[in-house]
Amino acid sequence: MTRPVVPFREIVLKVHSRCDLACDHCYIYEHADQSWRTRPKTISDEAIFWTALRLAEHAKKHALPSVSVILHGGEPLLAGPTRLRRVCEELTKALDGVAALDLRIHTNGLQLSPRYLELFDEFGVKVGISLDGDKAANDRHRRFADGRSSHPLVLKAVELLGTDRWRHLNLGLLCTVDVANDPVAVHDALMELDPPRIDFLLPHATWDEPPPRPDGSPTAYADWLLTVFDRWDRQGRRVPVRLFASVLSTLSGGPGLTESLGLTPTDLVVVETDGTLEQVDSLKTAYEGAAATGFDVFAHTFDEVAAHPGVRARQLGLAGVGATCRECPVVRSCGGGLYAHRYRSGTGFDNTSVYCTDLEALVRGVERRTAARSVPAAVTDDGELRTEQHELTRLLLAGLHRELDGRGGEDWARAWELAGTVDRHPGALDGVLSHPYTRGWLHGALDALHEGSPGAALLPAGRLASSVAAAVVRGGLDLPVQVPYEDGALLLPTIGELRLTGAAPHGTAEVRPVEKGLLVRTGDGERHIPRPDEHSAGWRPVRRLGRDGAPDLAVDDLDPYRDCFDAPALPRLGHAEAAEWTARLARAWGLLRARAPEQAAAAAASLTTLTPVDGRRPAAGRHALGALGVPLRAEAAELAPVLLRGWRRARLWALLEVTDLYADDGLWTHPAPWQEAPVPVSELLAGAYERTGLRAFDPDGAEAALRALDTLDRAAELTVGGKRLLALLWEEADRDRHSR
Amino acid sequence: MTLQTSVTFAPVKKDRVPLTEIDVRDAEAARKLGRVRPSGADRSARMSTFNSAL
Repeated sequence: MTRPVVPFREIVLKVHSRCDLACDHCYIYEHADQSWRTRPKTISDEAIFWTALRLAEHAKKHALPSVSVILHGGEPLLAGPTRLRRVCEELTKALDGVAALDLRIHTNGLQLSPRYLELFDEFGVKVGISLDGDKAANDRHRRFADGRSSHPLVLKAVELLGTDRWRHLNLGLLCTVDVANDPVAVHDALMELDPPRIDFLLPHATWDEPPPRPDGSPTAYADWLLTVFDRWDRQGRRVPVRLFASVLSTLSGGPGLTESLGLTPTDLVVVETDGTLEQVDSLKTAYEGAAATGFDVFAHTFDEVAAHPGVRARQLGLAGVGATCRECPVVRSCGGGLYAHRYRSGTGFDNTSVYCTDLEALVRGVERRTAARSVPAAVTDDGELRTEQHELTRLLLAGLHRELDGRGGEDWARAWELAGTVDRHPGALDGVLSHPYTRGWLHGALDALHEGSPGAALLPAGRLASSVAAAVVRGGLDLPVQVPYEDGALLLPTIGELRLTGAAPHGTAEVRPVEKGLLVRTGDGERHIPRPDEHSAGWRPVRRLGRDGAPDLAVDDLDPYRDCFDAPALPRLGHAEAAEWTARLARAWGLLRARAPEQAAAAAASLTTLTPVDGRRPAAGRHALGALGVPLRAEAAELAPVLLRGWRRARLWALLEVTDLYADDGLWTHPAPWQEAPVPVSELLAGAYERTGLRAFDPDGAEAALRALDTLDRAAELTVGGKRLLALLWEEADRDRHSR
Repeated sequence: MTLQTSVTFAPVKKDRVPLTEIDVRDAEAARKLGRVRPSGADRSARMSTFNSAL
């Protein structure tokens, strides 16, 4: 099957092919490809026009929200302000109303003056300047042809760009690493200039032309960068450093932030001054013509270039790296390194990076230094997990309000305003919003809005009003709340349900707390519920477990959003049935406490709600942490592992909702000790998590889990949070084994 | 009255943003929502990853 084209979002536009410096490390002039010799010095009007046209048609076809164009060279400022104005005008005009245009320029800074900056200000062109560090470091390579230093002029440009007048155009500094330089001096010199961002770049090299390693160390570049990292970290990470940010991002499950690291498909194309379309610029370091595609902007679309085999080879993600890299635990962070750095005559690009040992040491070094600080607190602290889950519910509610955008009618507006008022009373609204089935309501309402279901915008108001009313009652706030009711029943989530016999089947009731209980007023009269936790005429309370040593959990068989498990929720239990079930649950909890005391305590601290469901297995559902669907018909001995299994599933599910434990799930598959077919990391972790926790009831399963933990130790997908969870599972497994 | 016997709730974050002032459009909120409500098409503007020095 042909894979769809990955559209280009970044265009490197060569506006001038010559340079006013003669840096001896420049990949354009000093490396294998010498095609610059045949290019026109300056980009032509025709090439500008066609580039803008091609880019606009590409952005339109792929509905791109934004495109970046990086003006590049040679030295792009040598094109002069008139030519650069033409470039900016053509691109801005072509992209107007099609996609946002992010214009940038990478320059050596020598020619930078207010004249250029006024032009860049007019078109919003951000400016990045190359500077290799302190004077000694910079002048090691970045000199004029006659050997003069470029340092004073570059500093002048950086200072100009850093002034209040132009600071908003400052993109930051690009620093090419040379391990002969003092890393601390380089870091300090760059930081002193207070740039908005720093990029550290490895010098382009291949297996044919390896990078210099003055002391022969296979990790010379990693050591150099980690020295910079330590200095940067100790000083409070004052300025973002993209190389480090990229490693930290991928370690936590995010994307790579630079083309030189990570598995993100390349989305970059180069337009030379003569309008020819080339692959990524760095390939010029590999061999003569390595970046060529045979296409140009005059006769070819960007889609044609995107389909070029050379471009596609760099869009394959994991499939695009060699066999060694595919099995490497750090590949998500390094991505096999920059494509050009893999080149070797004979085998082409099917190799590890010539910086492989450095990249691995860099990733592991950053991880070692930061893992303890980067692990989300929810992984190790159940209280934090509950807090994060609750904040997520509030965020979803705020998201629903924004999604409604005034379409929720007066009922929603009134309930939302009241919710804001009640939210100022600590704990009142929290006690209702943190009810697990609030989440089911929010997901259902958002789904209906996205599907455009008829009346979807008017439906959520009822539940919000009833939640606010429940909060007011729980908090004893002197605030009457209008609550719509349907089918003669008024639900107050977490408290109970009132059957409004005699009243109209649909309508609005006023709910308010009174000194003893709560009062419900309809057009038909008033109902006083003096003891909301007890049955009374027409009032059905949410029952509670909390007997015979069992934790004080709600038994919710009333909430309409409780039917969110993979087994059907049962209707309201009769008195005898409820008493019998809760007695069995209490006995089951006793068994659980006896055989797995730590887990029983943790579950008791985090669970809030049990709902009777059909079937005999534990049910996980689409709700917030705290609820379990528990089969009605199971015996106590069966219920104990059911409770534990359900709790383990619910906790992992809840963790995955607020943290990234792995990334790129499904990119690899792993052997699972409990089945023949290999599984993605999500299934392996879930299986190991559950089985490790059930050792007291299923020792064979726990032994299988140990083998799964071994496999997970080598998995590339786990983030720092996932690895911490894995370490906790090992501790749990070891503790349980030794205690037996 | 105050009901003490209902569902226990999560520890509340200190200095949290009031409900009606939560900005669901900021990057952090979008990231959190993205975990539980993944959107189909990626319409977000993507940062440039090109980083070649001159």
